[in-house]
Amino acid sequence: MTDKPTSVAGLQATVGRRVGRARRFVEETDPEGVAVVGLVLGSILLGFVGFLLTAGWTAVPLAVALLASTYGWFRQQGLLARALTFGMTTVTVVTLGLIVVFIFVESIPAFRYESLTVFGVSVPGLRMVTQTRWDAVTDPVRFSLLPMIHGTVLVTLIATAVAGPLGVAAALFISEIAPPTVRELVKPAVEILAGIPSIVYGFIGFTIVNPWAGDAFALNGGATYLFVGAMVGLMALPTVVSVAEDALTSVPDSMKNGSLALGATDWQSMTSITVPAAFSGVSAAVLLGVGRAIGETMAATVMLRNVPRIGEPLYNVFYGYETLTSVIASDYGSANGIHEHALFAAGVILFITVMVLSLGSQYIQVRMDRKLGGGN
Amino acid sequence: MTHDPERPTDRVTRRKFLLASGTVGAAGLAGCTGGGGSDVTDGGSDGSDGSSDGSDGSADGSDGSSSDGSDSSSGDGSASSGMRTSLLTAEGSSTVYPISNTGASYWVSNAPPSDGEYWGSNEESTVPGWEDLGEPDMKIADYFASLYGFEPTDQRSKPPFVVNVGLSHSGTGCKAVVDELVDIGNSSGPITAELDWSEEKASEEVVDHVVGRDGQPVVVSKQIYDSGVDTLTGEQIRGIYQGDITNWSEVGGPDKEIFVVGRAEGSGTDTSFRLNMLGDAEAEMDVDTRKGQNQQVRTVIGQNDNAIGYMALAFTNDSVVPIAIDFDGTVYKPDKDAEYTIFDSEYPLNRDLHMYTKISEDTPEGTDMREAAFINMFLTTFGQNVFVEGVNYIPLPTKDIEAEKAKLPDQA
Repeated sequence: MTDKPTSVAGLQATVGRRVGRARRFVEETDPEGVAVVGLVLGSILLGFVGFLLTAGWTAVPLAVALLASTYGWFRQQGLLARALTFGMTTVTVVTLGLIVVFIFVESIPAFRYESLTVFGVSVPGLRMVTQTRWDAVTDPVRFSLLPMIHGTVLVTLIATAVAGPLGVAAALFISEIAPPTVRELVKPAVEILAGIPSIVYGFIGFTIVNPWAGDAFALNGGATYLFVGAMVGLMALPTVVSVAEDALTSVPDSMKNGSLALGATDWQSMTSITVPAAFSGVSAAVLLGVGRAIGETMAATVMLRNVPRIGEPLYNVFYGYETLTSVIASDYGSANGIHEHALFAAGVILFITVMVLSLGSQYIQVRMDRKLGGGN
Repeated sequence: MTHDPERPTDRVTRRKFLLASGTVGAAGLAGCTGGGGSDVTDGGSDGSDGSSDGSDGSADGSDGSSSDGSDSSSGDGSASSGMRTSLLTAEGSSTVYPISNTGASYWVSNAPPSDGEYWGSNEESTVPGWEDLGEPDMKIADYFASLYGFEPTDQRSKPPFVVNVGLSHSGTGCKAVVDELVDIGNSSGPITAELDWSEEKASEEVVDHVVGRDGQPVVVSKQIYDSGVDTLTGEQIRGIYQGDITNWSEVGGPDKEIFVVGRAEGSGTDTSFRLNMLGDAEAEMDVDTRKGQNQQVRTVIGQNDNAIGYMALAFTNDSVVPIAIDFDGTVYKPDKDAEYTIFDSEYPLNRDLHMYTKISEDTPEGTDMREAAFINMFLTTFGQNVFVEGVNYIPLPTKDIEAEKAKLPDQA
């Protein structure tokens, strides 16, 4: 019953389009078009099922889909394009959903292993955050995620402290202060910087920064959250600059001109008009940078010690043990059993954090848009 | 109103189409499963083999007996035509990789016996162990493959089948061979420890081929070695790795903190170090850093002037110096000519290097002809000399080689 109305509506829509086409096409092409689209979608679906089952015959329906759509491309292009884009989007969304489900399902044994009974109720995963021991080999085997969360928080804070002010200041300079020639040169240069792979930063950190830090600060080994954070901050900088600059540039000239006409200086217009107006975009830029810092893997893995531990005192950034991403990257090869599931649990924490961050930035953006829109 | 007359026809065509596509799908399925026999994943490669066989004898196709076709044909006279010559794949530990990969490189080049440097003999040089092999007049891969019934190609760079070695980790290699993703799983630790298996399960699922030994020397930074720390007792090393000794002055070195380098938690190297040095595979450790690969350990120890670590012998160099270890009065020196050396199989940190093959329905013995031909190459004087000693590992004693050869199927 629930299916019927939608399929009827879909049919009606199809029939509606069909009627429009009937003027240009002879009558017998109608069933052909439906057949082609049905064949394409059906075989893509079948191919997807085959892919999920890792079956040997997966290529057959995909080949049928390819043949049918090649044929349909010449006979029913418009109709087929709609069907194809719909089919592809569905496959993408379903794949994404399956990945998320997979990560969560894989982490369940670890959460279950680390359950703790509170007031007679067993809470899965609680022991991951009530003690700080991570040891996959020696009894008692424990997988506390606190050391990694601590490391990730420190690295992210330092990276934000580096990328935020530098990035916003650079964006302000490029969009408001710099002469046009400088802007034309600097903007693309900053964007090229974003293309440097993170392992390059990690390699520089491992071979140059770590040995130097070890000597300069008399550290036992050179790994520190401070310089990992600085490295990751540098990595996030181009993203922050580029997005913030776009936001600042998109503030309408009329607003700035109005301010100048009232006798404000350039600096006064910037601080009281341009920056507040572009605040949502600028904060989105910083949050994007933070997202990159949290998810950064390679630089952290090669520079850190890969020993999950919490330094004393908590704010001492001259320790460099482990982050949520680096524990996955350093342990995945030798992990099995609960250890492997615990790495997935680290992935779940990362996933949730990044999701909250991205929802948060969207919320800020919506709020600022509403506020500014109402002000105008 | 105008829609109504058209709707029924549309429905009919849709239903018709569903029926039609269903039939097409079923036909496709039937065609595939019919051609590929029972095994779906191997359908592609087997299918092509089957079709070429079809011209020789149609019996294969008509009754579709997929049960151990390769085994029964290898028993017959026409052995080589029915043998699988698909790609032989291996994967696993970075410690076993030098042996496995060097072997594969030699294999794939299929050098002629006149080469002298890599295979055979000429005026300038002869490969080690050449006489023991009976100086065969065949190319390298042709010779070792023909021992197990493969047809020689007699062409350079064209072995009877190609070998491909991947690099990952011991645990990954064990898992890959158990899941039948690769033919040979390379591991530096026993599979029982890597996958947490019992001995029985291991002997039911896989065959363990030991191809060489690895001595795990304990290494220190050059500055520490130069300042006089060239020997440590087993007790001292235990103290350092369990956090009881934290300064080099406590073991006769300079007044410097010790930077203790361990290996990735649960890796083959880590497990065997805990087992052999700390006395228990699950012994407590207190290290300053953990690195996954030998190369990384070498770099970290080279970068610091106060580090200690352990790693595969093949990776030591000038700035990362192996030291002698005193076990209960016996001093094992990192020197081939000393009375007791870290090359001895008695050295407590030595460990076997494994190549695992999977016991399956097709190969109840665990090792098929391709795997046997390749692994057998390492179990000769030539192989031990070139592929094991040649990359700084420890060759197997004769009695161990014979025991390993007994695990392989009979030669043709």
